[in-house]
Amino acid sequence: MVKHYEFFVTTEDEYYTAYIGDTVKGFIAASGVQNGIVSVVTAHTNCGIIVTEPLDCILSDLNVLLHNLVDDDGEYSHAHFLPTYGRTSANAYGHLRSILVGNSTTLSLVNGKACMGEAQEIVFMEFDGPQARKVFVDIIGE
Amino acid sequence: MVIDMHTFPGFLEEICQDPRRVEFRREQYFLYKQHIWPLSLFVLQMNAAGIDKSVISAEDVTTRAGDTIVSNEEVGMLVELCPERLIGFAGVDPWRKDAVQVLEKAFGELRLSGLKLSPAIQRFMPNDPMLEPIYELCERYHKPILFESGMTWVKNSPSRYGNPLLLEDVAIAHPELKMCMGHFGWPWVRETAMMILKYPNLYADTALLYFDSPVQFFEHTFETDLGEYWIDRMLYDKVLFGSTYPRIEQKRMRKAVDSLTLRPHQRELVLGGNAASFLGLEEA
Repeated sequence: MVKHYEFFVTTEDEYYTAYIGDTVKGFIAASGVQNGIVSVVTAHTNCGIIVTEPLDCILSDLNVLLHNLVDDDGEYSHAHFLPTYGRTSANAYGHLRSILVGNSTTLSLVNGKACMGEAQEIVFMEFDGPQARKVFVDIIGE
Repeated sequence: MVIDMHTFPGFLEEICQDPRRVEFRREQYFLYKQHIWPLSLFVLQMNAAGIDKSVISAEDVTTRAGDTIVSNEEVGMLVELCPERLIGFAGVDPWRKDAVQVLEKAFGELRLSGLKLSPAIQRFMPNDPMLEPIYELCERYHKPILFESGMTWVKNSPSRYGNPLLLEDVAIAHPELKMCMGHFGWPWVRETAMMILKYPNLYADTALLYFDSPVQFFEHTFETDLGEYWIDRMLYDKVLFGSTYPRIEQKRMRKAVDSLTLRPHQRELVLGGNAASFLGLEEA
């Protein structure tokens, strides 16, 4: 059985994080799937999805690390007008941070529950907000 | 107060209920992949950029393309939904036979705060006598005009109509009419600087981004093409913050303005004080 769900995260600042584990668990319960895998993927290219401990200090440290690794104002090739969009891109830093953290996570599903450690939480990460961001949840199993 | 003088509201969800109208907008305004999102998200984006108010403008291409891109009524409706954050400017196609009536309604009934004209998109010379009744109406209602000056990304819009020097005759003939040259008249930025230096009723906005990142493009425009201290020492009361959103995010253009060489008082004027004066908000 395959069940597909979508939801939105409205982000409120340029760098913004949201805990989305409860939303994903709600879809698992609704799906009726007992054993299989759960895939959580963002539809965007300047966001990330990670699994980590839900502590503000960790997310703050991650923000500092990503800013140290990726300069806001580097001389990026991506800073130019995009004729097929009709607008200018100047958000290379968001794309690069997204690539570094990854845009998805996959969890095992056993007896109707996602296999996660006690300290683990699924975190949506915004690198170019505020925006309305779509997240896909696919539950595959029986 | 920070005021963004130059935004386009065409993809706000509240006025995007008709898919054919959205498609028309994409084609006419050359903004193909812009997402549609609610006014509430636009407000969040303004908050994140530290912007208190945004001017949203209508665009009328009725005689060339058969419709408005964004109508005065749509702008009026959006302002009614969020009056504390939005300032509405009317649009009118000067080639319309009923142009004066359309504008009279926009100012009188819809209570819009100014007029946006786009010479290149609407294909008229700003100093054409055809415009006189429109200029006179704006003077009568004490409404300022925002011109699309210089280059527009919109296709089939010859740049010769956007030369800021074409406004000189208008500035002389209508000394009480406040006019702002959008996009700082790029690439005619030296001509724009001359015009706002010389004419008390002329202003220019910072909604210019044609190459590079906003910070890099501002550095080149305002430190190489123009003198680094020209705004800080002389033009500080004639330059208005504008973003050209959604062709670029407001937060990026705000950051570019923050990077300009300006003392605190001058920066305050450029970010909003001058716009408040231009819009007559100080008198309200």
